[in-house]
Amino acid sequence: MGKSVLIVDDSSTMRKIVARSLRQAGFDFETILEAADGQEALSVLDESRVDIILSDINMPNMNGVEFLREKADNPAIANIPVVMITTEAGSDILREALQLGAKGSIKKPFTPDQVQKTLGEYV
Amino acid sequence: MDYRKFIIDGTREIFETMLMAEVSPGQQKDVQPEEFERDLTSMVGMAGACRGMLAIHCPKPIALAITGALLGIELDDVCEDVFDAMGEMANMIAGNVKAVLCNKGLDVSLSIPSVVSGPDFQVDSLVEGSRTVVAFDTQGGEFLVELRLEETAVAA
Repeated sequence: MGKSVLIVDDSSTMRKIVARSLRQAGFDFETILEAADGQEALSVLDESRVDIILSDINMPNMNGVEFLREKADNPAIANIPVVMITTEAGSDILREALQLGAKGSIKKPFTPDQVQKTLGEYV
Repeated sequence: MDYRKFIIDGTREIFETMLMAEVSPGQQKDVQPEEFERDLTSMVGMAGACRGMLAIHCPKPIALAITGALLGIELDDVCEDVFDAMGEMANMIAGNVKAVLCNKGLDVSLSIPSVVSGPDFQVDSLVEGSRTVVAFDTQGGEFLVELRLEETAVAA
């Protein structure tokens, strides 16, 4: 079965850029799913099988840290790896995301090479 | 702090990385947004150890060109994609400034981006601190990046 990725970002522009970067980095995901915030991401995870999640931190309704907390409380999805894609380099909120189980982070702006390097371990 | 340098470095990095384009600070000094012909302003608020905002002011053709380059599409007019892309541009430049502030022990939070567009509008800020405006030249014309910042805490 082909692999699937969930991209979580309130910016539709950024979701398109991330999807394009994944293709440019050589990842061949069969399914690319999208969500505009953490709440929407949980709904997608309820209905779809996802192998890896790329998530922004700073989002309305439910931000990336709140999403990680909710995800950790649900055994069905707790083990899906999450990589943060964010402008929040070096900040307290990114440290909190990493403490809550995020596997790593990619700082915006990013190149396909940086995406490849960070995700290669999990895909 | 040399906010002008942070703005220039951050904006250049974003253009080179995400748009595969070069951008350079314009020749014009002391351009004020109030006197600049703009059709769209995207901005991100800052709160915490510093409060303020970062804004991009640009004429319509520049906003369309930036959005087109980000998404790999051609656009004729301002639409939802342009609002979203210009908001994300402001978010990335603000994120860069935030990273510099964090390194100096000043942790700030960023708001979700907002975008204003139209023929005649004004953007005001209640921040009393510094105001740095950098004009950038692109092939299609000029745009401004404005940073207003007031330190509310002493750096760690």
